[in-house]
Amino acid sequence: MRRVCVIAGGMCKWGVRNASQRDMFQEAARACFLDNPRISNKDVDGLIVSSAYTERCSFQTHLAPLVAEHVGIKPRSVCMRVELLCASGSSGIITAYGLIKAGVADVVMVIGGEKLYMPQKWEVFYSEMASVDHDWDGAQGLGLPPAAFAMVAKQHMKQFGTTEEQMALVSVKNRRNGLNNPNGQFQEPIDLATAMNAKAIVRPMKLYDCCPITDGAAAVILACEEKAKELTDKPLVYIMGTGQASVHNMSANMPDWTTWVALRTAAQQAYKAAGIGPAQINVAQTHDCFTISEIIEYEDLGFCEKGEGGRFIQDGQSDFGGKVPVNTDGGLLSCGHPFGGTGIRQAIEITRQLRGDATRQVQGAQFGLTHNLSGFIAAHTVLIYGREA
Amino acid sequence: MQSMDLFQGKYIGTMDLYPQQAPEFNRVHPFYEHLRQGRFTTTRCKKCGSKAFPPRVVCPECLSDELEWVDLPTEGTVLVVTEEEVGVPLGFETPLIHALVDLDGQLKIFTRVVNARVGQLKEGDRVRLYVFPVPPVPMEKGRDLVQVERVYYAFEPVP
Repeated sequence: MRRVCVIAGGMCKWGVRNASQRDMFQEAARACFLDNPRISNKDVDGLIVSSAYTERCSFQTHLAPLVAEHVGIKPRSVCMRVELLCASGSSGIITAYGLIKAGVADVVMVIGGEKLYMPQKWEVFYSEMASVDHDWDGAQGLGLPPAAFAMVAKQHMKQFGTTEEQMALVSVKNRRNGLNNPNGQFQEPIDLATAMNAKAIVRPMKLYDCCPITDGAAAVILACEEKAKELTDKPLVYIMGTGQASVHNMSANMPDWTTWVALRTAAQQAYKAAGIGPAQINVAQTHDCFTISEIIEYEDLGFCEKGEGGRFIQDGQSDFGGKVPVNTDGGLLSCGHPFGGTGIRQAIEITRQLRGDATRQVQGAQFGLTHNLSGFIAAHTVLIYGREA
Repeated sequence: MQSMDLFQGKYIGTMDLYPQQAPEFNRVHPFYEHLRQGRFTTTRCKKCGSKAFPPRVVCPECLSDELEWVDLPTEGTVLVVTEEEVGVPLGFETPLIHALVDLDGQLKIFTRVVNARVGQLKEGDRVRLYVFPVPPVPMEKGRDLVQVERVYYAFEPVP
């Protein structure tokens, strides 16, 4: 089996954009090619597009050929769209990785993003109810995630003594890290008092505990090792292992709200494939859609013991200089979350950390991890990246 | 709304909050018929006996397609309460209250709770099934347009 490398990555400006979906895909592709001037669109033989709400917010299906046409790529190996809501981007990367490994494609661009802001804001909230089981959870007025994560947070607080302050510390850290990514939605650090005194969304979740709604796109190029050596003079970053798992979809079938069984399975699968464990991870980008999510992810990714997640952030273990710096580019809380773009944004930050050219560098990082959750905490996606020692 | 004039008052299924309940569109339509009778039901496999929720047409355990309808409790105990006071989706009103409800050990559902005030609902409270009408679907049957009546459910505090 061939080894697969990430050889370029870039994103457009994320936030409330005066731009259409196709505008942002063009901007992201250009940023990706600018990251590695040795690659041109003629070198790319495959294209995978990741987008969840393209039909709903842009009334557009059959997206891959449209994007290919717009970014001057003429796919001849693979040309398709991949969707797993919030993990669409990571799913696109896994798809490209598998296809390159198997020899179906050599050089593939994975590009993902969303246009979520509509001329009237109610529409995206309404569409979100199709993100959960529409017939059974959506019709209960679920779909906008704050209620579900507030319910999770209340249980974690009760079971393990996690505090609102510890959750707020996650948003303070990630807003500070957001300054490392000038393309992120927010460039405004906040202090603990601001986070604690913010307006309630669904208690205990307050404004800064929640990631925003975001327009944006991001792209990476993956290549087989042989092509990668021709097409880049930067250190090679390899995909070492992947895992995806799901044990339920509708809320009624969630086995445990505070221990995410599917995340543990996906992580174990990825660690096993990479031949390393959580202790070897030097930097991670996890799915901090809400502050409580990041705290539970520390635990279920194996960075700390179950129930110790609150302590982990409080002790600075997930910050620069700690055990595992998490969301070094600001995560979803600061960069925002255009569903199909997020996993790709995470891959870009990890790639730069492992190449040694990140805005704020985790010194000597050799192994990096990305994680997404999607839907009603219904699926988890983990990728492990590494550079040659 | 001017921009919508082209729809000439037509029903748009892709914007419908509630599921299609007519037998023409949904094989688990008995669930909704049972709701009208005040029953909260799901399907059980006749082959292996496993009960799934939501109702199925194929057993997820043994893949048999021989299923029967069984009743679930219509009362349960509140485990966790959440209250949305801002930004609720179209079709719902503030406050939008949800609770994780234990249906006497048979199922834990995260469901909407109606007829409750903010701060009223507490862990340990009992809630019961609440069935209400939702807008009908104007469905084409040959050359006719028939109104498919629909219901949906939430829970409410037991007084």
